[in-house]
Amino acid sequence: MSSTGDITTPRPRKQIDGWRWTGRIFLVIMLLYTALPMAWMILTSIKSGFAAMQFPPQWWPTEPTMASYQKLLDPQNSVGQDFLRFFWNSLFVSFVTTILAVVVAVPAAYAFSRFNFPGRKFLFFSVLLRNMFPAVIFLVPLFILMRWLGLVNTHGSLILTYLTFGLPLAIWLLKGFYDNIPIQLEQAARIDGATRFQAFLLIVTPLSVPGIIATAIYSFIGAWNEYIYAATFLTKNEQLTLPVGIQRFFSENTTDFPGLMAASFIMSVPVVVLFLLLQKYFVRALTEGAVKH
Amino acid sequence: MAQVVLKDLVKTYGSVYAAKDVSLTVNDGEFVALVGPSGCGKTTTLNLVAGLIPITSGDIIIGDRVVNDLDPKDRDIAMVFQNYALYPQKTVFQNLAFPLQMRKLPKDEIDRKVREAAKVLDITHLLERKPRELSGGQQQRVALGRALVRDPAVFLMDEPLSNLDAKLRVQMRSEIKRFHQDLNATIIYVTHDQLEAVTMADKMAVMNGGLLQQYDTPAQVFANPVNMFVASFVGSPAMSLVPLEVSSTNGITSLTSAEGWHLPLSAENARKVANARSKKVVLGARHSTIRLHKEKLGDAVPAKVYTVEPTGDITFVQAFLSGAIVNISLPPSVIVEPDEMVWLEFDQDRIHLFDGETEMALRAE
Repeated sequence: MSSTGDITTPRPRKQIDGWRWTGRIFLVIMLLYTALPMAWMILTSIKSGFAAMQFPPQWWPTEPTMASYQKLLDPQNSVGQDFLRFFWNSLFVSFVTTILAVVVAVPAAYAFSRFNFPGRKFLFFSVLLRNMFPAVIFLVPLFILMRWLGLVNTHGSLILTYLTFGLPLAIWLLKGFYDNIPIQLEQAARIDGATRFQAFLLIVTPLSVPGIIATAIYSFIGAWNEYIYAATFLTKNEQLTLPVGIQRFFSENTTDFPGLMAASFIMSVPVVVLFLLLQKYFVRALTEGAVKH
Repeated sequence: MAQVVLKDLVKTYGSVYAAKDVSLTVNDGEFVALVGPSGCGKTTTLNLVAGLIPITSGDIIIGDRVVNDLDPKDRDIAMVFQNYALYPQKTVFQNLAFPLQMRKLPKDEIDRKVREAAKVLDITHLLERKPRELSGGQQQRVALGRALVRDPAVFLMDEPLSNLDAKLRVQMRSEIKRFHQDLNATIIYVTHDQLEAVTMADKMAVMNGGLLQQYDTPAQVFANPVNMFVASFVGSPAMSLVPLEVSSTNGITSLTSAEGWHLPLSAENARKVANARSKKVVLGARHSTIRLHKEKLGDAVPAKVYTVEPTGDITFVQAFLSGAIVNISLPPSVIVEPDEMVWLEFDQDRIHLFDGETEMALRAE
């Protein structure tokens, strides 16, 4: 910026800076709002049980300890056994939900995007019907349905439920991706000797990988964090998923805050790792250069 | 290479005809341009030939096979798309190799053919790049290469030049023409630009409203347009069309304007207008066949200059004649001013006469 500009137009510059600073301050507040609880969670998890309850609080643990983590991850003691089983249950439910969601959503979204069939519009909007109501409304009807199906106290009940919640949005999300992939790419592939299915598999699918990954993460996180259905459908201790398990496990007698925080931290690890590994797919504009706009 | 025959081809969407009774024969090694305004059915016709959309009725014959129900992959065609449709995740080499891989050719043969095609199109140095790293002209060449690599019976091209800038378009135009001559390829080429059709094609098929209007050599289409649509579509600036009325006095047939002037017709032109259904006749003339005079002279008719557009070697003048706009080209030495009164002289041997009701060209028989 030239110095003459500073002298002749000081006012607009000041205004721009004012807005810029407001924006920065806002972002800092947002950052603190989201990051501080996480930081506090980690700090508490490495304190001793006594230190965690002190007032005024220890901002930085005087005697950091990994005892809570050791306890949780030790398959020898009962706490560790339970925690690892819950973790495994959550992982199983979330993975199966994610895989089924992708397997169903990919062809469904492709069909909605490419084919014109009777009732297409109606079907497309009816998949959203579920999302118009709060999840709690479906709690009792679904419980009755699951009991009738004999699925109460099985992971199958959760997987089915999570699919009914996750699929509509997954289909919408993926349809958007398929809409953005030029249809000429498939046409070219079909002329080049591919069948319709080969064109879908060899040309369209690699291009929709970012969409598929976004959909998968969305389904996984939804299933991983879900609490109320898991708490309703499952009662047997060995079947509980993490969100329910952590709560039951730590509030029976007195609350072990460092243990609770350590468990929460471990629970957030898979989600964070998934994001870190796959975030580049969210931003990679793979179709760039495919067509001239 | 092979010939392509379209027989009474029909494509409907509900009650709308996208292509109606299109019949034409593309001979082996011929370059045929399908030309017309947007929505005229030219791209639909091309997609029908490609098999990308199913036909409603009629026949498509490529070589000696009726291909009506064959998948695109089994029709032995190659297609160049307007947006090139290069596979973005594949390198140029993989793009060119894809049609060969789909045909399960051995790897060394694929490699040889891809390099051959790349050499022909001068893209050997680009083989390892991704499409997004190429310029528009290079992408265009890769798209051509992907069509060429397979040695298909017919090349289909859907407005392949319309995404290029003007200079590159002229260059690629001559390259595609060269490509056609060198390979002796059968090409069906869709364009909305009549200039591309006229300059490149052996024959042009002018379409409008799903109907094939005229199918002939560009020279014939230019010289003898069958109707007013073709007359106004082919040629730039467009042929001027002036609606007039036929009158006859003392055995001389003339065209009469509501403005009061008469244009006596030659004996042959008089025979033509005798075939008109009513008195309404449209006079057509190309800009280069109209002479402009500054004062009244012989059979010249009065007009008022509207705009003057000097282009350097030719000056285009638009003038109002009997309520219609007429295009005239002049040497730059002639100076005319807007709103000036001028007199226009028509060349009786080179004017076109159309029936005012049917819009069809009038013939002398």
